[in-house]
Amino acid sequence: MSIADSPLHSSSSDDFVGFLESALDSGSPGSSPDEEADDDSDIEIDSNSAKRRKVEFGSTEEIPGSTSEVFVEELSEASTKEDICTHPGSFGDMCIVCGQPVDDKSSVIFGYIHKGLRLNNDEIDRLRKTDIKKSLRHKKLYLVLDLDHTLLNSTHLNHMSAEEEYLHSQIDSLQDVSKGSLFRVDIMHMMTKLRPFVRTFLKEASEMFEMYIYTMGERAYALEMARLLDPRKEYFGDRVISRDDGTQKHQKGLDIVLGQDNAVVILDDTENAWTKHKDNLILMERYHFFSSSCKQFGFRCKSLSELRSDESEPEGALATVLEVLKRVHNMFFHASNTLCLYDGKKLHFLCLEDNLVERDVRQVLKTVKKDVLKGCKIVFSHEFPSNVDAENQPLWKMAEQLGASCSTQVDPSVTHVVSGDAGTEKSKWAVKEKKFLVNKQWIEAANYMWQKQAEEKFPVKQMKAT
Amino acid sequence: MFFHIVLERNMQLHPRHFGRNLRENLVSKLMKDVEGTCSGQHGFVVAITGIENIGKGMIRDGTGFVSFPMKYQCVVFRPFKGEILEAVVTMVNKMGFFAEAGPVQIFVSNHLIPDDMEFQTGDMPNYTTSDGSVKIQKDSEVRLKIIGTRVDATEIFCIGTIKDDFLGVINDPTTA
Repeated sequence: MSIADSPLHSSSSDDFVGFLESALDSGSPGSSPDEEADDDSDIEIDSNSAKRRKVEFGSTEEIPGSTSEVFVEELSEASTKEDICTHPGSFGDMCIVCGQPVDDKSSVIFGYIHKGLRLNNDEIDRLRKTDIKKSLRHKKLYLVLDLDHTLLNSTHLNHMSAEEEYLHSQIDSLQDVSKGSLFRVDIMHMMTKLRPFVRTFLKEASEMFEMYIYTMGERAYALEMARLLDPRKEYFGDRVISRDDGTQKHQKGLDIVLGQDNAVVILDDTENAWTKHKDNLILMERYHFFSSSCKQFGFRCKSLSELRSDESEPEGALATVLEVLKRVHNMFFHASNTLCLYDGKKLHFLCLEDNLVERDVRQVLKTVKKDVLKGCKIVFSHEFPSNVDAENQPLWKMAEQLGASCSTQVDPSVTHVVSGDAGTEKSKWAVKEKKFLVNKQWIEAANYMWQKQAEEKFPVKQMKAT
Repeated sequence: MFFHIVLERNMQLHPRHFGRNLRENLVSKLMKDVEGTCSGQHGFVVAITGIENIGKGMIRDGTGFVSFPMKYQCVVFRPFKGEILEAVVTMVNKMGFFAEAGPVQIFVSNHLIPDDMEFQTGDMPNYTTSDGSVKIQKDSEVRLKIIGTRVDATEIFCIGTIKDDFLGVINDPTTA
């Protein structure tokens, strides 16, 4: 059944609309004969013709002789400016500069800022370039934060175990979210626990960074979590990016972050999400508060919620990483004139003081990381299969990134033996020579904590069969 | 720009609404259907102000619905290219700012903001002149010129500019 409800319009109003449209169009102050043909430069013409008129007027009164010259000059300037608009972006399928309808499918969608907003790559570059100068003047870098397992942990209400039921009586009120840390978001059927120290972390980080949220969750979830973390909207503003906004599936990218790559630091627990930007990433130790989250990652142990405990506030991951961020920030802005960097192939001497824009936070991150195990010489024992190239093993690379030098043979300069078995020859050598004998978690912990760990905490066990 | 115009529409009414209140039912259904909608031709229908006349109802075969041709007066709002509009700023960022005039969403890109106004970040992002005398932030009222419009079923998008004489902030929320 068709419903004949198309609005019929009286012809008089139709004519009036048409009349007004044309009248307003031609009546705009910058109207010139060729405006119909080339609407792109509407604004340009406006300002120029205004200028032109002023010049004409002024010069005819005061210096009549020079009138024609000036006029010609102004005209030529106007005509060069009449270039076709490059359509740097669009809003509701209209160019943001000239207002012409555009159909540009190649540009990047910025739906997280406003519905219908798209920008092309040149415009993004331009915005980043102008923005970075301003940020650096304010001594700010960019920080992209992941939500789940980094700043907080959420679980579906249905997935809560019996031992977690007690949490329902401990939830904080949603009225004043700035104080609480455990919330039940009923509209999403979620229970959310903020990571200890997160409030202090955000407050202190916001002084050094312009912060973004970037989560693989849905938009509604991202906004709800942003509200819990930042009720006064002072940290994130409209910079909340969710799964729906990304340009690639199952990947996070800095292409929709309006910050230049060399000034962005990323905090995330999933390295694989940032395949293109690994150098910007500080990998976070995952925060598992709820049992469902532990199960999801295959841990059999009891969750923090079931043990009725929580991560330590002063020594937790966020406190640790805040110290790293402070170091990175300090080094970026206050480093001595030259910074000596070794990228694996050659030494770079960067002259930093005079050109902040040229600085690269990725290099700074590497340098900071290289300090962690500086001076350690590591020999691996019983860690890699004998038939593979030890230098290509992740653990070996990790140790090198942390600034340690690695070797396959023991010699007096060796400081640490990383071993999977206390019974090997190298392990025995370590004990005899009073070198540190640690298991591989010593390196992994240093990698997360960005700090050399106490060797005693990582003893090597004797294997039975040997 | 607002217009008071006469429009026509065929209203279909379910037989259960027939009876003494037929006319009231027709009018309330018309209001529900029409107010708040957009058409490219007329723009946004703000309110129905009166009924000119209701024609003879025609019973539609097979359904029992009756369709009445209705003529009604209404106030419509439609932005035009070149029109000067006053709007409230809803969001400010490094790309420019967004403003609202009723149902109309307007974007003013930073290309079309005077060059002497610079973007300032912070918890209240804004565009400010170098001497600090003029400031555009959320809830500021601005006068702008429309340079492009597009009308959807429920939304109207506009591109605006304040890079011209007599355009810009007309009321600063901080001083008000």
